[in-house]
Amino acid sequence: MIALTAKQYDQLCDELVTNLSLDFFEDDEIDHVLNEINSYDPQVRQKVLALALALAHASSSLVPGLLRHIKTASLFLSSDDLDHWLETAFDFRDSQGIDQALGFLSRVDAAHLAAFQSQAGLQLHEAAPLLETYLRAMSGRELKVMPADEVFTDTANIYLPAELTRFPDRERNFPLYILASANGWAQIALGTLEPMMEPASAGEDEGFDIEKFFELFPDRKLAIDLYTIIESFRTEYYLMKELPGLMKQAFSLKQSCYLERPPLSSLPEQSAFVEGLWQFYLAGRTKGATPKKVTEAVSSLYGIQYEPGPSESVKLLFKIYDAVALLPGRYIPRPAPFFIARIRPESVAESVREQRAGRRKKLEGIINDLLRMPDLVPDGRKHGPGTARETPVESSREYLLIKGRLMDVDKELRSLIEEKGGLPGSTLVKGSEIEGGSSINLADLIDKEEEDLPEAEGGLPYDEWDYRRRGYRKNWCLLFENDMHPGKDSFVERTLNRYGGSVVALRKKFELLRRERRMSRRQKDGDDIDLDALVESYSDMHAGISPSENLFTRIERQERSIAVLFLVDMSGSTRGWVNQAEKESLVLMSEALETLGDRYAIYGFSGMTRNRCDLYCVKKFEEPYDGVVKQRIAGIEPKDYTRMGPFIRHTAKLLSAVDARTRLLITLSDSKPEDWDGYKGDYAIEDTRKALLEAAGRGIHPFCITIDREAQFYLPHLFGAVNYIFIDDVRKLPSRITEIYCRLTT
Amino acid sequence: MVAITNGTELQSVHSPAFLYEQYIISEEPYYRPQRKEVQLFQSAYENQIPVLLKGPTGCGKTRFMHYMAWKLRRPLITVSCHDDLTASDLVGRYLIRGGETVWIDGPLSAAVKAGAICYLDEIVEARKDTIVVIHPLADDRRMLPVEKKGEILKAPPEFLIALSYNPGYQSVLKDLKQSTRQRFLALDFVYPAKERETEIVVHETGVREDFARTLVSLAEKTRNLKDKGLIEGASTRLLINAAKLIAGGIDPATACECAISEPMTDDREMLESLGEIIHSLF
Repeated sequence: MIALTAKQYDQLCDELVTNLSLDFFEDDEIDHVLNEINSYDPQVRQKVLALALALAHASSSLVPGLLRHIKTASLFLSSDDLDHWLETAFDFRDSQGIDQALGFLSRVDAAHLAAFQSQAGLQLHEAAPLLETYLRAMSGRELKVMPADEVFTDTANIYLPAELTRFPDRERNFPLYILASANGWAQIALGTLEPMMEPASAGEDEGFDIEKFFELFPDRKLAIDLYTIIESFRTEYYLMKELPGLMKQAFSLKQSCYLERPPLSSLPEQSAFVEGLWQFYLAGRTKGATPKKVTEAVSSLYGIQYEPGPSESVKLLFKIYDAVALLPGRYIPRPAPFFIARIRPESVAESVREQRAGRRKKLEGIINDLLRMPDLVPDGRKHGPGTARETPVESSREYLLIKGRLMDVDKELRSLIEEKGGLPGSTLVKGSEIEGGSSINLADLIDKEEEDLPEAEGGLPYDEWDYRRRGYRKNWCLLFENDMHPGKDSFVERTLNRYGGSVVALRKKFELLRRERRMSRRQKDGDDIDLDALVESYSDMHAGISPSENLFTRIERQERSIAVLFLVDMSGSTRGWVNQAEKESLVLMSEALETLGDRYAIYGFSGMTRNRCDLYCVKKFEEPYDGVVKQRIAGIEPKDYTRMGPFIRHTAKLLSAVDARTRLLITLSDSKPEDWDGYKGDYAIEDTRKALLEAAGRGIHPFCITIDREAQFYLPHLFGAVNYIFIDDVRKLPSRITEIYCRLTT
Repeated sequence: MVAITNGTELQSVHSPAFLYEQYIISEEPYYRPQRKEVQLFQSAYENQIPVLLKGPTGCGKTRFMHYMAWKLRRPLITVSCHDDLTASDLVGRYLIRGGETVWIDGPLSAAVKAGAICYLDEIVEARKDTIVVIHPLADDRRMLPVEKKGEILKAPPEFLIALSYNPGYQSVLKDLKQSTRQRFLALDFVYPAKERETEIVVHETGVREDFARTLVSLAEKTRNLKDKGLIEGASTRLLINAAKLIAGGIDPATACECAISEPMTDDREMLESLGEIIHSLF
């Protein structure tokens, strides 16, 4: 449709006014209609006017109804989508007449309008970084968000719809993601997903999990839905308390969800019961008369809202389930409000099983290792295996005594002991039977001994730390120093183009850092007189002390004297974005460091087994940043594994040979240290830690920049709490790295 | 010639009375103990062991010093350290007054003479060669050589030196040398527990308790983000600032944005996340 001129538009308006007055519309009614039409965007307005006119030709009395429908639709559709919707109405009129068009226009429920919503809503991948930060802040731990067909959580991840298009625009959809995430988080926080742990129903049986729990009910789906509702009342109360602002925002959403629910009378009795509870949850009332049983159930639901754990909910579930099961008609599940985290027992159980299996395996390893160890002399009791933490013994708890060492007994260990019918060489003791002392925390895992492989020829030998034997394996690793294979020259140019503006800003920033003027006081000569020093000398002279001759101030740039070595992870896991980001970071960093004048070197590392640790030189300290180096940066590509220890030892040696006051070793990495031959887990972490400690002993400051989400579990141990930084989005690495460097060295 | 003089004896001669007076804290500062720090500090004081206060910014280290000075009835001389601070800034220097030279004590000498508590705030900001000046005062010698005057000040038993620093700074250039560290008893400060922090915010600002509780809950959430996008979580001090704005009638979300999230970071995405958290809470 071609836009009308103002004159044409006015003419059409006049025509509409004439039509309306002929049909006995009062003046104020006509004004209302015109105002309504004028409230739309010009493009839409023209179509609304044309439609109103078309209807007015048939009967003016239809016009106000039409405008109401359009108003409703405009709440759901963006301007463009609304335009599209009106266009379709015109098509209906042209092909099937005004009645059909009117019928189409009157269907303004969400389901019909959804077809006209363009995919302009909000995609999960856009919202994910923000949501994960939000969840980390709320829960204090790492919770990933993942796309799925509905909202649920398996305790490790929160699954959310891949996109939200309830509203046309991004802004209004975002709070829905927040609300759904908060619901998932609340389920975890409130223990909803561990109903079987409660004394009411718990067995000591290890295999009894949430999945088994729901098998207790003949109609499993009904039980799950009822439990979801019961727990929704509890999470609601919890969120009201914890996040009142969010729940205020949720209020109108719940109201609109309520409007979409069916009347109770349209459903068989069991389904109507469940539906009634949902409607109460959403709006505090039901569509149609509320069955007495629903009212009763709701009042007991309110009664247990403030419970901190799920035990009362479980009791109530049995009660309500029994009541509902007596009702006639089969239960037909209906979708819950979309922002409610559904309970998926099988996902939870699987996730929990995985976590437990991992723990169990580690535990068996620890026990086996302990049993193989020699007996401890009594005064050596303090030494546990590796670096496990120790906690004071509590008299009320039980401990496992193995070869003079005390271990905490947790659920898994207990079940392991029971399963094996006791562990030979160990005994269970009560805390009260032990005087003082401390027990070993089961935090560490022990991996199997790696197989010995034939040694390769050549290479520099490096020791490797074995924390189990508390000693070095002599000349265990062979390190080969290679030059990086040059890559395409254009990479650096492309990166500089890509970051065009920020490279300029970056250079400026680092130039400022370099030129940071420092006034040196009390100099023998300089630009200006140091008044403080002069007064002091004068006073000294008077006091009979020989005055100082250092009476000048000099402005000079502080000698930074910093040498930094970048050690870049080239393991297979960096393939793709990470590799790209690492390379871009190195380009930007090099640009910045060239401006700043700090000495720097870049090495990449990767390897396969202890006999093949390959260090790739990108830039040596003494090398200039030239075409060759640029090509080498471009040539960095993912290879094999991450055996960090030998590389840290070697680069620390290189670094300590440089004459600088401050020496920094910055590691860029995306994952835990790991190698093919069993260099992993605690063994790898302890060796890396040892290598870092050795580096620190040489006066080197190690620092780690990582994008590994699990980093917080091992990096504080490796680098110390303040010597690492985690970047949640790899794409931010290039822009963050220079900032981090600035902060580190000022 | 080196004269060994006892600080307290010289007090009347060298430190005018007004100096002493103005460093006395006469009213009890509001301080809620977190753990046993009051008892520990008192014991350190009695045993003449210098004290190092570690902890993040705005968690109450300085307030604690004020409280202890009041409790121990000693004047408190505070020096905020910076990288231009010289040894003579701490010890003292000669000045000319009316054609004559006058010796002016630096804060450290004044504190020794007055038997005061000398508190060096943010000690890592000071240059390493300046920090060394306190070494002889911080071990069993407890003395301060005043080279210019060729005298050695002996610290009276009432004197105590205390330092503060924030171990959370990620700068390799800012760390305390072992030779300094190992002269001190260290008290680790953390942010107060939930209930206590709420109480503090209410007391300091008069804001309604439910607002204070929400602010503390917000702080807790930002502290979960330390090193995960934020360098440091929100301090009690920031909460108090926000609470003051709220008590003054500014709407809570705006107050939190201006007083808490914006001061903490410039990162757009982080600010957006913090905004969402704030909106969820209020």
